[in-house]
Amino acid sequence: MPKWLWLSLMSMLWWGVWGFLVKLGTALMNPQAMQILFVCGMLPPVILALWQAGFRVQRDARGVLYGILNGLLASFGMLAFYAAMTYGKASIVGPVTALFPLFTVAGAVLFLKEKLNKVQAMGIVVALAALAIFSRG
Amino acid sequence: MTNWLQLALLAAALWGIVGLLQKLGSNRINASSLLIWVTVGYLLAIPLFWKGAGLETLSSKALLLGVLAGSVNGVGTWLLFAAFESGAKASVAVPLTALYPLVTVALAYFFLSERLDGLQWFGVFLAICAGGMLSYETDH
Repeated sequence: MPKWLWLSLMSMLWWGVWGFLVKLGTALMNPQAMQILFVCGMLPPVILALWQAGFRVQRDARGVLYGILNGLLASFGMLAFYAAMTYGKASIVGPVTALFPLFTVAGAVLFLKEKLNKVQAMGIVVALAALAIFSRG
Repeated sequence: MTNWLQLALLAAALWGIVGLLQKLGSNRINASSLLIWVTVGYLLAIPLFWKGAGLETLSSKALLLGVLAGSVNGVGTWLLFAAFESGAKASVAVPLTALYPLVTVALAYFFLSERLDGLQWFGVFLAICAGGMLSYETDH
């Protein structure tokens, strides 16, 4: 197996475990506490990744703004995710929140004038079918 | 629509906008720089959540679990970074990692005894497939 494939699969595995740990954590604390602890835990591996990549910090003003806004919005997304995990089943909340590229793709088409490829177009139909199933109550 | 589903869709919508910002940001700065500034954004949000978090009331088990969840997520990010450094194509690696709920579903089934009906299982199958398909981008 090529090294990149092994690393990608391991990334998938660790993110999947993260979803499970969130479900356990939301039974013990509120979303705000969960997010603060999440950031504390996330820092060491992220710093390690950046160290390996050579810690090149580029400071293009718009790039910086997009990055910081990204972190802020992702934080609020996390709060909603934790709240959903508190009330819903991890088996459904996990896959539904992982549909976030649906909104990225829609935004990229609307605002960045990107074109959908065929796989993404089919993905939209499949995602909407999944949501229709979950919204039946 | 049930409350948890609305919250899950809100999370997906916010993360979807995050995906757009990632696209815009990566046109301006390299991936590792973007990760630094994203982390700054995470840190800036913390004071907003501090009041009412009630960290001082949490047991050491809860504190450990919260930090562990963050570390596990960070390791996932690190591994994806390493995959790109090892020559992974984004068009393959990103859809592959988008299948991560498969692992969550399996763990919830075996360790939390979560049970779904037939139609819900079909919905989970469709959602996981859709996540992978939507993440597929052709290499330019």
